[in-house]
Amino acid sequence: MTGREALPHYVESTRLQHFIDYEIVGKSALRVQRWRDQWKLATRRPRPDSPLNPPLRCVAHMKEIMSRHYLEGRYAAGVRKVAWVTSGAPTEPLQALGYFLVYPENHAALCGVRRQAQSIAEEAEHAGWSRDICSYARTDIGAMLSGKTPAGRLPRPDVLVCCTNICQTVLHWYRVLADYFGCPLVLIDTPFLFHEAREHEVAYVKRQIEDMICVAEEIAGKSLAEKRFQDVMTNARRGAELWLEVLNRSRHRPAPMTAFDGFIHMGPIVDMRGEAVTVEYYERMLAELDERIDRGIGAIKNERYRVLWDNLPIWFKIGELSKWLAERGVNVVASTYTYAWGELAPMIDPQRPLDSMARVYLHPILNRSTGHKLDSMKGMVNEFELDGVILHSDRSCKPYSLGQIDQRDRLVKKLGVPALLLEADHNDPRDYADEQGSNRLEAFVETMEASA
Amino acid sequence: MSVTPGYAPSLPSRHEVIEHVRALGREVVAVMPIHYPRAMLRAHRLHPIEIWGPPGVARLEGSRHFQAYTCDIVVKATSFVRSGGIAGTKAILVPHTCDALQGMGSVLGDFLHPEQRVLTLYLPRGRRTSDRDFLREELRRLGAKLSEVSGHHPDRADWMEAFEAEEAADAALADLYRRRESLAVSDRRFYQIIRAREYLTAEQFCAQAAAIPEGERPRRGIGLMISGIVAEPLELFDQIEDMGAHIVGDDLACGFRRVYSPSMRNDPFERSASKLLKGPPDPTCGTPVRDRIDALQTRMRALGARGLLVYDPKFCEPELFDVPLLRKHLHEAGFPVLHVEFEMGKTLPHQTLSRIEAFVETLS
Repeated sequence: MTGREALPHYVESTRLQHFIDYEIVGKSALRVQRWRDQWKLATRRPRPDSPLNPPLRCVAHMKEIMSRHYLEGRYAAGVRKVAWVTSGAPTEPLQALGYFLVYPENHAALCGVRRQAQSIAEEAEHAGWSRDICSYARTDIGAMLSGKTPAGRLPRPDVLVCCTNICQTVLHWYRVLADYFGCPLVLIDTPFLFHEAREHEVAYVKRQIEDMICVAEEIAGKSLAEKRFQDVMTNARRGAELWLEVLNRSRHRPAPMTAFDGFIHMGPIVDMRGEAVTVEYYERMLAELDERIDRGIGAIKNERYRVLWDNLPIWFKIGELSKWLAERGVNVVASTYTYAWGELAPMIDPQRPLDSMARVYLHPILNRSTGHKLDSMKGMVNEFELDGVILHSDRSCKPYSLGQIDQRDRLVKKLGVPALLLEADHNDPRDYADEQGSNRLEAFVETMEASA
Repeated sequence: MSVTPGYAPSLPSRHEVIEHVRALGREVVAVMPIHYPRAMLRAHRLHPIEIWGPPGVARLEGSRHFQAYTCDIVVKATSFVRSGGIAGTKAILVPHTCDALQGMGSVLGDFLHPEQRVLTLYLPRGRRTSDRDFLREELRRLGAKLSEVSGHHPDRADWMEAFEAEEAADAALADLYRRRESLAVSDRRFYQIIRAREYLTAEQFCAQAAAIPEGERPRRGIGLMISGIVAEPLELFDQIEDMGAHIVGDDLACGFRRVYSPSMRNDPFERSASKLLKGPPDPTCGTPVRDRIDALQTRMRALGARGLLVYDPKFCEPELFDVPLLRKHLHEAGFPVLHVEFEMGKTLPHQTLSRIEAFVETLS
C-alpha cells in the first residue's frame, strides 16, 4: 500500500508550475473572485423575509485566504516540505522552517460543509473502516484512498505530526496515514489534565517539541532560525488574541455575529496561525464587528434568546440550523469549540517559545477534565448573558462528548439554564435525524420561552 | 452450550481473594483496563481487582452518564460502581487507556464522586526515552497518592518483596503461553486461569499456573489466533472448539498484551515504568500498525495459526482503526482475518457464532 507508485492521487509539482499556476494565475484569479464577491455583497438587496442580517463583508477576504491556502496545497509537493498536522499540533516551528501545513481535520470539515463528506467517507467504509470511528478520519482516509476532495488535490506529506491534546483518535488515525504514506510520524503526546498541569507533564511536552524540531530540521535540511521562530510566535499570539476579541464581541446585545459565523471564520486561526495574513484578517474582521456594534446591527434581526453551543459544529447543517434558530429569535452567540483557539493566547510567550508552547499545547479545553469544561460553560453563560445551552452530543467525538450528560444535568439543576443534548455527528449526515432534531430544538426553545 | 471436559481449576472467588488479602494487611483497589503497575500497588499494601465490564451488569445506570455510543466496558463498569459493586475498596484506578476511559475517569472524579478515591494514570503512547522518563515521574506521583490511600510508605524491602512476587507471577503468565501446547487443559480453562490474574494475588496465580497438568493438549481442528480487548463470555472458546477449531495464541489486551519483559533497574519507579513500556505491540499504546502486523505474522507462523479472529467490543476505536490494515496485510501473508464486534453479555448472539463458524469452515 505504501510507496510513491501506489499513490496516484499525490503528484509533485515543479517550481515553474508552482510559480505560474499558483503565484501568477491562481492568486490573480482568487483576487478577482474576491472583488466579485465583495461587489455582490455590497450590491445585495436586503431580504426582508430572511431572519438573518446580511453576512459580514470580510467573508470575501476569508474565502480568498482559505482558497489560496488550498490552492497552494495543490502545488506544494516538490516545492516546499509538507507536514500534515492535527489541529492542536505545535506548528509554529514548522511554519518557521517553511513547511506547508495541511490540516486533515479542516479538510474533512470542508468536505462536510460542501456536503461531500458522506460519499468520501464511504470510500473508507468500503475499504473496511467502521462507521463507528470518527467521521473526520473516515472522510480523510476516504479522500486519501480515492483522491476525491473539493480542494482539488492535497499534497503528499513529508512528515506527519500528531498531537494527542484533542483526542487519542488522532493517533490511531495518523498511524494509518503513516502506514499509507510511509513517512515519519512525530508524536507529541500530551497527558490529559484531570487536574492542573504538573511540571513533569510540561517538561514531557517540551522535550517532545524539541525532538519534533530536530526531525523537522533534518527533513527540511535547514536549521530553525531563532528570529523567524519568534516572529511566528508573535503572530501566533497576536492572531489568537484577535480571534478571542472577535469572539468576545458577541457579548454585545445584539451579538454582531453568530457562533455559526465563528465556525466558518475560524479557518485562518486553525490553518494559518502564526502567519501575518491571519493577523491582518482578524484585524479587519474586528473592525467590521465594531462597526456593526456601533450601528446596532446584530447577526440576526430579532435576537430574543442567546445560546451557547458546546462541541464541534454539525458541518453539513450549519446554514440550515443557523436560519432555523434565527427564525425563532435564537442567536447562538458563543461556542466552547471556537474559543479553544483563542482562550490560550495569554499563555503564548514569544520570548520563551518552547516553555510557553509546552504549556499552551497542554491546555486546550479538549485536554482538560469534564469538570473544567463545565466551569468554562458556566463562565460563558454568565459573561455572554446566555439563556440556554445546546450540547451537541457528537457521535464522532467521544472526548468532547463524554461527560455532557452530567454537564447538562448540572447546568439545568444548579445554574437553572435550559440545556439540550442534541444527538448528531460533526460530519456524517446519516447520524442526524432531521425530524427528531427539530422536535428537540422546538422543545428547547419552548423551555427558554417558559423560563424567560 | 458444550461442556468443557478435563482439568478444571479450583479458583477462589473475588470475595474470597478480598478476604485473603485483607488478612494479609492489604487493602483492595478496583482497577480499570489495561496497563498499570502491579508491583507498585503491592509495595503500598494494596491489591488490585480488575473490572472488565463486568459482562453480567446491565448498562442502565451507566447509560445515565454515558451516551449510547460508549463502549460496554466503561458503561457497565460505571453501572457496577454506582450500584455498590466496588463497596469496601479504597480506591478506583483508571489508567488512561483510551478516550472512553479518559471520560470515565473524569466523570467519576468530577461528577459522580464515589466513596472510593478516584486515581488516574496517564500512559504515554510512545516508547522513547522521553516516554519512559515521563512515566517514571507519573508513577512517582501515583505512588504518593497510593501512600495517601493506604497510609503506607514503602521502604526498600517492601519494593523488593513486591517486585519479586509480581515478577514471579508475570513469569508464570509468560510460561503458560510458552508451554500452551503441553498443557492438558481446554482453551476455556486456559483463559479462565490467564484471566484469574485480574484478581488473584501473585502467589495464588503462580499456584494455579503450576497446578495445570502437563500432557497432551485437548484440541480439535484448525488453529486460530484471537485478537482484541477481551474475549467474553468464556463460552466463546467452547463454541469455537465445537466448530472444529482451537486457539493457538492470542493478541488480547486481557491476555498476551500483558506479558511484559522484565526490567532490572534500581529505582522502583524507573523499573515499573520501563516494564510497562516493554509489553507486546498494543494499539492502545500507539504501536505502529506495521510493527503490530509483523509481530502477529511472526507469532501466527510460529504457532501454526490458520487465521485471525478479531473479537472487539462495540465502539472500540483503538481496535477499529487497525482492522482494515490487519485484514489487508495478513491476507497478503496468507492469513484470513474475521472481524466480529460484540456487546458484552453472558451469552453469545447466534449471528456472532454463525459468522465465526463460517470463517472456520472457509479455513478448513
